[in-house]
This record gives sequence, structure tokens and C-alpha cells, in this order.
Amino acid sequence: MWKRLESRFHFFAMATVTTTPSASTPAPKSQAQLILERNRRARRNFTLSVVASWIAMLLLLLFLFSGLKLKSSAAGTQIAITKWVETTGNKQKQDETLFSLPVGIPSGEFAYSTITLDWGFVGKNFAFIRDGIWQTIGISALSIVTATVLALLAALGRLSTFPPVYALSTFYVSLIRGTPLFLQVIFFFLALPQLGIDLSGLWAGVIALGLNYGAYMSEIFRAGLLSVGKGQREAALALGMTQSQMMLRIVIPQALRFAVPPTGNEFIAMLKDSALVSATGFVHEILWRAGAAGKPVNRNLEALMIAAVFYWFMTISFSALQDRLEKYMARGDR
Amino acid sequence: MPIVKVSNLDKYFGRLHVLKNISLEVAEREVVVIIGRSGSGKSTLLRCINFLEEPDNGMIEVDGISVPATHRKTREHNQQVHDLRLKTGMVFQEFNLFPHLNVIENIIEAPVTVKKMSKEQASEIGMRFLEKVGLAAKRSEFPARLSGGQKQRVAIARALAMEPRVMLFDEPTSALDPELIGEVLNVMKQLAKEGMTMAIVTHEMSFAREVADRVIYMDEGCIIEQGEPEKIFAAPADPRTKQFLERIR
Repeated sequence: MWKRLESRFHFFAMATVTTTPSASTPAPKSQAQLILERNRRARRNFTLSVVASWIAMLLLLLFLFSGLKLKSSAAGTQIAITKWVETTGNKQKQDETLFSLPVGIPSGEFAYSTITLDWGFVGKNFAFIRDGIWQTIGISALSIVTATVLALLAALGRLSTFPPVYALSTFYVSLIRGTPLFLQVIFFFLALPQLGIDLSGLWAGVIALGLNYGAYMSEIFRAGLLSVGKGQREAALALGMTQSQMMLRIVIPQALRFAVPPTGNEFIAMLKDSALVSATGFVHEILWRAGAAGKPVNRNLEALMIAAVFYWFMTISFSALQDRLEKYMARGDR
Repeated sequence: MPIVKVSNLDKYFGRLHVLKNISLEVAEREVVVIIGRSGSGKSTLLRCINFLEEPDNGMIEVDGISVPATHRKTREHNQQVHDLRLKTGMVFQEFNLFPHLNVIENIIEAPVTVKKMSKEQASEIGMRFLEKVGLAAKRSEFPARLSGGQKQRVAIARALAMEPRVMLFDEPTSALDPELIGEVLNVMKQLAKEGMTMAIVTHEMSFAREVADRVIYMDEGCIIEQGEPEKIFAAPADPRTKQFLERIR
């Protein structure tokens, strides 16, 4: 862990490298060394500034939703915090003074208040919405597997020299890319029952997301298949492999390796698009739960913010994983 | 009785006539080196022997399996081509090792998938050939971590593991750094000494002189001249051969 931190923020390592030799030997540094240090300092300063700005923005956001209030008049100045308090069944906002001064602005009144969140609601529903993470990840995982299979088939079809197969592949991609994802999701859930096909919300969602992403991802797989050089195919054929053995054993494995990092990106996008499935009302993923918790008590602001935080948290985590995966995959070949 | 027989071969790339009615026989245990300017059709000729290029006319025969050129890829034709490829091993200029497989996996891939050999048996055979090319220690390395010369030696072992009757070498040292050429040529010399039938396209004239039983000079899709290396190199009969050899020296 420390090693990783050290390599990421290499100024930790730098500190030791630059101080020890100069302490024992006052020999002048070479120009190369000086330039190197200057560049490292510049990089370090940039990283530090970015981190600091991020923290500042997060603090600003926290402040805006803190419920803090500033009131000032000739009578005095108060800093208060506004809270939702439950009294005999109905909730009311109540100010609680944190700090007061006897002096204030001489004439008129000044008041500034930030947004008050119902922390009682947040506390009560946090776990409920959080448990939707598994549904969100689950439906995204099922959909990405479906999409990967479809994308591979569509890509193979696209490279086929057999006209009907080529046509089927391009037809599928064109149809799916030409219609909205949201329409596709509700189509499978609302329109198909009219034909006597009743899909559960989950499967309607998985099929819709899978079909949709499959069409978009077919380009990734096509690029993957094309990235496998002609020499690879010739070597396989020269060894006596049949066309299908060559595809299965030599071309597709390499194409998949090429396609893994972009597929990871698609999965991250899918995590967010899976929220559309909440429209069916039968998959209790994060957004559905946020609605279910927030709507009845008119706490949509809080509920949606919790949901947003979870989506954000998930995409950050998976992006970090994806980053490592990409580095790992890049290591093998050069 | 020749083991490879090429009869009246024609090949066109679009309107370009790259092979013009070529006929060629290679005897068992013979080492034939094909030389010529780039674009003379020598690589194409080699690639036609195992149908990596489909000839437009003529007939190829390897170890009793004869396949006529055809434009209709029938099931029968594909089967014949497949059988013919099992008789030939090929080594490419760009090695073409499978980057997603390590050295031993590269070698046993075809024996396992094509010959349905067990992995154990294939590994045993594979190791034998890997030892032959002097790379037994690299069995678990991935191709990306090998030098060009090592890659080409693995590629040779991979082709040998299918136990072909004829080995085809398509400029096997042209993509190598000069200091790595020797190790590959040594493996090939060893193979020739052991009696492998080989057809080699190369620009390594001293190698050709040393190893070849017969040297073929090709130009503009035709075999201009062929014979023992001493004869071709010392006293070429055709002025084109003479000019080529002078330029290369």
C-alpha cells in the first residue's frame, strides 16, 4: 500500500533522495539533476494543487448543504444551524444558534442561509438505498455479459463475407443505435406483454441494456478482431488449423484481450444507464430505491443525493480498478 | 521421386502476373534455396506451396497429396489443402508467434488442436524440439520477452512439432538484427544436416552457398537459372543472375 502511495505521489520518495546526498557531500548538482528536480517539483506542485482544489470544492459543496445560517441586524449577529425537527408527527425546520455576537450591521437586516437537508431521513434511508448497489451491479454485470456476447457475434458477422450474416449484423446495429435506450428499456417491459410475452423487470432490463450495449460495443470487438494481424492467421493456417480453430484459438482470444479495457469502460457507463431500468419499477436498484424512499415523504432532494453519491462512489471505484486492469494488460505485450 | 512437385503454376495479383508457369521439383532431403530480387515472385512461390496464396493455375503436390489450383473453394478442396498443410511447416519473416501464448503453449497449440494430441504428449514432443533449437529454458516465457532470434527459433520449433515432411522458410532472417542472424541460420544448418527437406527464400548468400543442394534464381515470376551453389555463384550462365549476384556482393 505504502509502495503504491509512494509511487503515485513520488514526492515522498523524492524528499529522501534529494536531502541525503546533499547533507553529506556538498558537491554541486549537475545541470541534469537540477532540471530533473525542477520538473519533479513542478509536477508535485500541480498534483498538490489539484488535490487541494478538489478538497476545497468538496468542502464548498458540504457547506452549501450544511444548513448553516448567518443572520445580522442592529441587534446582533448569529450563526445558526437549521435542522428538521419532528414534533408530534410533523416535521418542522428549527434554528439552533451556534454562535452569537452582540454587534451587527447598523441598519436593516441581512440573512444568508444554506440548504437544509433532512438528516433524519438520510439516516433512516441510507442503508435502504445503499442495498440497491448490489442490484445495480448485478443488472449491469448480467447486461455486460449479454452485450459482450452480442457484440462479439455482431463483430464477427460484420467481418463475414456471407451476405445474410453481414446484413443481419449491420441491421441489428443500425436499428439499436437508431432508437433511444430508454425506449428500448420500456419497450421490453411495457410493449412485449401486449404480444403475450411477459418478461420480469430484471430480464426486460438485461435484454434491453444488453442489446443496446451490444450494438455499440460491436465496434470495439470489430476493432479487436482487425487488430489481430494477417500474420497470425497465416501462421495458424500454415500449422493446419481450420478457419474455426484459427478464430477460436488464435484470433478471438487476442481480440478479447484488446477489447477488455474498453469493455471495462462500457461497464462503468452501464452502471449509470442501469438506472433507466428503475422505470419498470421491478428492479430495486439504487435509483428505484431513491424514488421509493423520497417520493412518499417529499424528500427527493435527499434521496437523489444519496443515490448520486453511491453512483459516483461506484464509478470512482470501478474506474480505479479499470485503471489497474489496463496497466496490467498493457504489461504483457510491447 | 520428388516430395514436392510444383507443376505449371500461375499466380496473378490483379493484373500483375507474379508467377509465370513455374514448375519445380524438390527431392526428399534436398535443401533448395530460392534467391532473387524483391518482387521476383520467390515468396509467392513458397506461399503457394502450402496454399497461403491460392494459385490461379497449375498443381501442387506434396508427399503424395496433389491439389490442383481452383477458384471454387469446395469442401473437398479445403480438405486437400488442409492435408497438404499438415505435410509442410512454415517459418515466416515476422515469426508470427502467438503473443497470448507462452513458448511451450505456442508449440503445442497445433498438435493439440489439430492432431488432437494430449497436452502431456504434445509438451513432451514440444520440449524435444525446443531443446533442439536451444531454448528449453524459455519454455514459460511469453514471446514479447524474447529476442528476435529466439522468437524465430521458437517459430521453427513450433513448425517442427507438427512433424512436417517439408519445411518452408520465407526470409527467416530478414527481420533480424545482424548479430541475431547466426543463431537462426545455425538451427537451419542443423536441420539440413539431419536430412530435413527444405525450401528457403533468403538473401543470405553465404548460407545458401554452404547449405544449399540447389540454388534457384528467380526473376519476374520465372525461374531463370538453377543448379549447385558453386555453379550458380561462381559461374552464372544467365546475365540477369550475374547482375543480381554482383549487385548483392
